[in-house]
Amino acid sequence: MHPFQYQRAENPGQAVAAVAKNPEAAFIAGGTSQVDLLKEDVHQPSLLVDVSGLPLRQISEFEGGVRIGANATNTEAAYYPAIQARYPAVSEALLAGASVQIRNMATMAGNPLQRTRCPYFRDLAQPCNKRTPGSGCAAIGGYNHVHALFGASAACVATHPSDLAVALAALDAQVQTTGPQGSRTIAFTNLHRLPGTTPHLDTTLAHGELITSIDLPAFAGRSHYLKVRERASYAYALASCAVALEMDGLKIKSARIALGGVAHKPWRTLAAEALLAGQLPTEKLFRTAATAAFADAKALEHNAYKIPMGRNLLVRALLETSGLQPLAGPAGTAFAASVGGMAGQVATPN
Amino acid sequence: MGLLGIGCPVVRIRPNPWRTPHNEQLTIRLFLNGCLKARNQKLDERAFDFAPHGTPTGKLLQSPRTATTMTQKPVPALHPGDTVPNGPLPDGTPLLTLRGRPVILAFASTEWDPAQAHQSAIFARLSQEFGSSAALTEAAPQAWHSLDYRGELAVHLGVAGQRALLLLDEAGVLRWKTVVEPGQELRAGQVLAALEALRPAPTVALSQVAAPETEVISGGVSRRTFVLATLAAAALLALPSVAAAAPADISASPTHTENRAAMLPIELNINGKNHRLELDSRTALLDALRENMHLTGTKKGCDHGQCGACTVHLDGHSALSCLTLAVMAQGKAITTIEGLAKGDTLHPMQVAFIKHDAFQCGYCTPGQIMSATALLADPHTRHGSAVEIREAMSGNLCRCAAYPNIIAAIEEAQRG
Repeated sequence: MHPFQYQRAENPGQAVAAVAKNPEAAFIAGGTSQVDLLKEDVHQPSLLVDVSGLPLRQISEFEGGVRIGANATNTEAAYYPAIQARYPAVSEALLAGASVQIRNMATMAGNPLQRTRCPYFRDLAQPCNKRTPGSGCAAIGGYNHVHALFGASAACVATHPSDLAVALAALDAQVQTTGPQGSRTIAFTNLHRLPGTTPHLDTTLAHGELITSIDLPAFAGRSHYLKVRERASYAYALASCAVALEMDGLKIKSARIALGGVAHKPWRTLAAEALLAGQLPTEKLFRTAATAAFADAKALEHNAYKIPMGRNLLVRALLETSGLQPLAGPAGTAFAASVGGMAGQVATPN
Repeated sequence: MGLLGIGCPVVRIRPNPWRTPHNEQLTIRLFLNGCLKARNQKLDERAFDFAPHGTPTGKLLQSPRTATTMTQKPVPALHPGDTVPNGPLPDGTPLLTLRGRPVILAFASTEWDPAQAHQSAIFARLSQEFGSSAALTEAAPQAWHSLDYRGELAVHLGVAGQRALLLLDEAGVLRWKTVVEPGQELRAGQVLAALEALRPAPTVALSQVAAPETEVISGGVSRRTFVLATLAAAALLALPSVAAAAPADISASPTHTENRAAMLPIELNINGKNHRLELDSRTALLDALRENMHLTGTKKGCDHGQCGACTVHLDGHSALSCLTLAVMAQGKAITTIEGLAKGDTLHPMQVAFIKHDAFQCGYCTPGQIMSATALLADPHTRHGSAVEIREAMSGNLCRCAAYPNIIAAIEEAQRG
């Protein structure tokens, strides 16, 4: 681990100022992903500004929705009653992610800012444009079974690992930030970037820009997160999806779909969403939508399996969200969010 | 002359034989890498004593381990500004012959611990870094000497049995010195300070040398210098602590550390008691617990948050101590496996683990028990079914696959 200075921030302004003036500085809060990257020498800040003590931990009702303080832990948010009841996709994504220990440590702002799990990113002996701009990409032409189907570039085919981010994208969450240029609101779907020629930049946040809260807008529909992984628990998604449906009587008023594990950011599928609007939910409709969602998928050498897997996952998530098929476990828990493994072994309340 | 990595002739790591059976392979690999010239000098078995100014007296000390029988007074420690007495380098060359160029002397143990395996990688990189600089090639073999701290030069320079880093300027004057105390680590900032001390006039006052790392890093040091210094620090840091090996008498020489500004004073509340420590900012809570507090019940498994062996409680919630920086655990109530039992009375979860034989090798057990106790203290998981317990325990891996018994133990404790 490279040496770094450590500074505990007393207030957000001080934290922003400390990081903004030092190009090698970084915020740290939960540290679960970051300390690992420090140990791997992938992350080499000269200054860490600890924002974990800032008073940004509160979760509260806000304009009909819920405002989640940046420092609320993943556990706190997952079990927050209004979130579990009204935004089960968020609780499901959180509780199906990581382990209890990590959820107790990880913060709500930090989770979407975790970096890719592309193995080449963490291997200093391999080229990686995300880690060392201009060095090349070892995943293209390498073993790329966990890599992207959408939005990849010739510079980077990494995927974003966060489950939470997928749910937040489907729910059109908003990100409140404060930075050297003042405060602003960012649509969650604009928080992350596609790799393009600058894969070393994961997000649109400026250097020194600090997330203060994540806001879930008022939402009266149903939401659900579904994830498939290589182990029954405690593994990243090979593919996942979050669905948010608003119903108008028996018809779907509007649908929002975000796919996880398939792109550099949570991948919204506007074409599929448009197909669903105003329709009666049927399995046939959902299959059509899923086909549309993956129409533009571009497989690499080892990840073509994700296309049928993702399609089927999306169909199932739509069936479950619309109520045509029961959830595999209680809404808002890991058992609803999981495919295989322990899913289905805990009875749903209905 | 100038900074290391710019003009100062540099480093060839030349450790003494690393001879224990388990490091044979490493030595061979390092040979192949060309970064070692391992030599079979048994310095530790023929450590000479020297007259104050240089000529060997020829008095043979049988071994540093028998040095407690020395009748000579310990050699007084050198201080910055002192002219360093002559003495032999491991290859027999008198130290005097290196006059005219700055010299870095690094004293360390030659024992190698398998746990320090990354040492070889650091050495290799260090060697490569220095070797790849054309400007340095010519002088490269000369200036960095990695020496056995039980060797004759260590005895001669008053640092016997201690990890120490000494910088001599071209006139042979000691410009900077640090002794790394047992349990402490050398900081890159200290190495940088040393490099700064090698700058030509004006002479840098010790107080400035000991400046905190912020100033050093922002003081115009090039990225490359910084990288090199970091590598050097890492190499030193990886060298085994002398604590266990050094005979009491040898380590009795002054052991003050001059450049410790980069260490952070840290107060941790562990198992209900406050402890004051001085730690490198990089120290993980896990390492602070094990290496500094000697609470070795908390285990290091993967060290990357994948296995759960290091699980502790922070303010009552389970957390991974390997992914927690010790400095960030301040102000939190830290509970380790040692803090569960009340005197001789085991925690009910510990009793249940024993009753249900919920382990084989036992290495993951402290982490399992810490997760299990937190699980039962948490209203969200307290009443979970066996399947829900499995899900909540998925962050704790058991290589022996004692899972059924672990679940049985937790269910028993759950019933109370």
